Amino acid sequence: MAVIELSNIRKSFGSLNIIGGVDLRIEDGEFVIFVGPSGSGKSTLLRLVAGLEEVTSGNILIDGEDVTDLGPADRSLSMVFQSYALYPHKTVRGNMAFGLEVARTPKAEIERRVQAAAASLRLETYLDRKPKELSGGQRQRVAIGRAIVRDPVAFLFDEPLSNLDAALRAEMRIEIAKLHQRLGATMIYVTHDQVEAMTLADKIVVLKDGAIQQVGSPIDLYEKPANLFVAQFLGSPKMNVFEAAPVNGGLRIAGTGQLDLALAQAGVTKVGARPENITVAAAGQGNIDGKVDVVERLGSDTYAYIALGEGELVTVRLPGNARLSVGETVGLVLDMAELHLFDAEGKALAKI
Amino acid sequence: MTIVGKSKRSPSFRRNRWMLSAILFVIWLYTILPLFYVVVSASKSNNDLFTTFGLWFSSDFHLLQNIHDVFSYQDGIFSRWLLNTIGYATAAGVGAALFSTMAGYALAKYQFFGKRLVFAIILGAVMIPQTALVVPLFLLMSKVGMVNTPWAVILPSLVFPPGVFLMRVYADDAIPNELIDAGRVDGAGEFHIFSALTLRLLMPGFATVLILAFVATWNNYFLPLVVLSSAEYFPVTVGLAQWYATATVGSGGGAALFTLVLAGALLSIVPVIIAFIVMQRFWQGGLGAGGVKA
Amino acid sequence: MAGPRPKKRRHLISKRVAPYLFLAPFTLLFLAFLIAPMVYAFNLAIYRTTVVAGTKFVGADNFIRALGDPKFWQGVIVLLKFAIIQIPGMVAVALLIALILDSGTVYLKSFFRVSLFLPYAVPAVIATLIWGYLYGPAFGPFTQLANALHLPAPDFLAASTVLPSIANIANWEYTGYQMIIYYAALQAIPADLEEAAAMDGANGFIYALKVKLPLIAPMVVVTVIFSIIGSLQLFSEPYLLHNIAPAQISNSYTPNYYAYSLAFSNQQYNYSAAVSFVLGAVTAVISYVFMLIVNRGSRA
Repeated sequence: MAVIELSNIRKSFGSLNIIGGVDLRIEDGEFVIFVGPSGSGKSTLLRLVAGLEEVTSGNILIDGEDVTDLGPADRSLSMVFQSYALYPHKTVRGNMAFGLEVARTPKAEIERRVQAAAASLRLETYLDRKPKELSGGQRQRVAIGRAIVRDPVAFLFDEPLSNLDAALRAEMRIEIAKLHQRLGATMIYVTHDQVEAMTLADKIVVLKDGAIQQVGSPIDLYEKPANLFVAQFLGSPKMNVFEAAPVNGGLRIAGTGQLDLALAQAGVTKVGARPENITVAAAGQGNIDGKVDVVERLGSDTYAYIALGEGELVTVRLPGNARLSVGETVGLVLDMAELHLFDAEGKALAKI
Repeated sequence: MTIVGKSKRSPSFRRNRWMLSAILFVIWLYTILPLFYVVVSASKSNNDLFTTFGLWFSSDFHLLQNIHDVFSYQDGIFSRWLLNTIGYATAAGVGAALFSTMAGYALAKYQFFGKRLVFAIILGAVMIPQTALVVPLFLLMSKVGMVNTPWAVILPSLVFPPGVFLMRVYADDAIPNELIDAGRVDGAGEFHIFSALTLRLLMPGFATVLILAFVATWNNYFLPLVVLSSAEYFPVTVGLAQWYATATVGSGGGAALFTLVLAGALLSIVPVIIAFIVMQRFWQGGLGAGGVKA
Repeated sequence: MAGPRPKKRRHLISKRVAPYLFLAPFTLLFLAFLIAPMVYAFNLAIYRTTVVAGTKFVGADNFIRALGDPKFWQGVIVLLKFAIIQIPGMVAVALLIALILDSGTVYLKSFFRVSLFLPYAVPAVIATLIWGYLYGPAFGPFTQLANALHLPAPDFLAASTVLPSIANIANWEYTGYQMIIYYAALQAIPADLEEAAAMDGANGFIYALKVKLPLIAPMVVVTVIFSIIGSLQLFSEPYLLHNIAPAQISNSYTPNYYAYSLAFSNQQYNYSAAVSFVLGAVTAVISYVFMLIVNRGSRA
């Protein structure tokens, strides 16, 4: 079990800076997810922890021990790769046993561990098959089995579910969640899918351009995003963001709308409202007026896309089957308690 | 030694690097040795050949003189040989590449009656030692009066079964079926699809087969030896071998030929070596494509 | 509408006929220059032409004579010894070089890759004559070195050393070519496999041994089969070296050389054809058997 600390980690390839000064502490048994758009450095950060890449500067500590100069295997970590990276010429058993064979573990012990891992992943009947005879989901489980068998202090996952279809992805997500419950091990997981991030993580680390934007629990990040990027990255559909300017008695939003705030924060340039925090009323009765452009009815929810003056669309989520028709002019009511305020640099300002 | 995660500065990495480089260097020396020897020997006068150390130059740099001798010996037949070789190899290379490409394309992208049989026969043909066919080929060709002509060398060299193999695998890999379907939907005829759409995708494979067939024909000795009797048609391999035989069998007069043979050898390998170095990109990629899947 | 229909019919025909047309040039040449000589060779082999009696049908006589001919079998034994000496060494060195280059740890990778491949550009004939000089007692550098060090000069062309010397020439010629093929196969191995192995604790050496080699093993087998086929056809090297070592290299040193001598020195075309044929059959059988052994091994 492991506490992993990253201290002022920097990574550059030549003159290209990928990671610039990351500090992070991962507690024992935590399920931490690195999430961010492509190019954010999340995979690089994972690989730095794994030891597959060398840090340019900074330290990595596992349980207080400085492992920065150690190779991957010496750090006692296991990794599950996006493309599974199974050895094609070995059977499932051979794949799982390889690492232990390299470490010269006694055969009986190898057999015991492989059996146990296979049992927990329902792979017993496949032990003598080769990877090419397995489906995507089965291969993924073998990759996980290979990681389990080495009994590492922490598990690393590099976008393991990206290559699976939607249904399988949902199934494997639950599988991984249960794995974490069962083993209680520290897990670091990289994904660009915010649904995976929200559902699996104890702690989410949002990365952008090689820097940490915010660290916190999924709900914390959702309800109290530290900046515009995090606010718009988590949550689907994305948070609606309006231009804002101070005006007597409140804020003028989106050029035409009016927000009455008891005390308007100084420096507010943008206001955010999530689709589920906006309701629809008759024209003129809300904070802003707009025309209904597209309506998507999912049965459980209705997504309405309301066009404001300059063609920007506001996404509104309404429960059930809402009574709206395309072309109708409506008023949007923003829930004041759930408003997010941002300054010119995109940083969140405390709500009053 | 893996470089994954290993610091390029770590002592074990550097030790491995030096060790492996040393092994490679020794093998490299062995590889270069004969080539270097030819360069050195071709730059010596006949006398120096016998008296100075074989692997280093003599003080009398005779290379240009030797080259001159090579081209003037026997009324300059050597230039004739070089031209012949270039001609045969180019014709065979281009022709073999073209026909192999077409055949490979057909085998890869069409379903037709007899396809498996054709493929099995070609596969079987690769197993037949080519040299076993040369003598009967000679006799056959002499019946139709084709011996002792350039065609006697070029035509058999156009048959290049490994090329068909390579192109079949390559065409299978490199050309998406949708491309051909799109062409058909657009109303293009089959040959038009081939020449206008798919051929450019096949170019790397085509280039590889061209180079392989070119080199095979350039290096071929047995076939031209048997089917050609007039020195004017000889490729450089046959001609040079003849000089070599004369040089070694005889003594005294024959001995003077040694420098000629060596300089001739140098002249005949330099063009291909230069071509290889220049055309690196092609054969490295192409050999990979076919080689991996085959 | 009358317009589209005729066009469609034209296409269907074109699609059915096209493959045959594409195959036609190759097939015609194949028939003329590969199948026809084979048929003709067989035809030749079942006749005998003598000055006295003309040409008469002798059935399997020539084949039986070849199969009982000690010169033929001595030649076959030479080939087998040659294959055993030459092929393993060549494959091992080629694999070694390919693995070293693929490991990405040496300097000047590209330079080595190209220069080690260069011998392939040298015709066998020329390689043989160069090595002939290198081996030579007259002005070969090894002899010169030995003389300078007052050591006995190595005799590369003595009866016991001539075959290894020939094998050396073949090694020199073809190792680079094998290396390129193995290198390409190694390059095709996905990179994350190496990372997975690194996580599993395997260093480069173990990874090469336990993952890379097994993965390219099928490719190695294919090249070995082609090498066997090639070495059974040995001709150029002994033919050329015959002149400088006539006692050690007879004109029936290899079956191909024997067939050549029969045809061109002795005018015995019929018997020569039979010898070629039997050699071809022996080659095909050996290759096929080898393939079966290996296939069964890999399927097991």
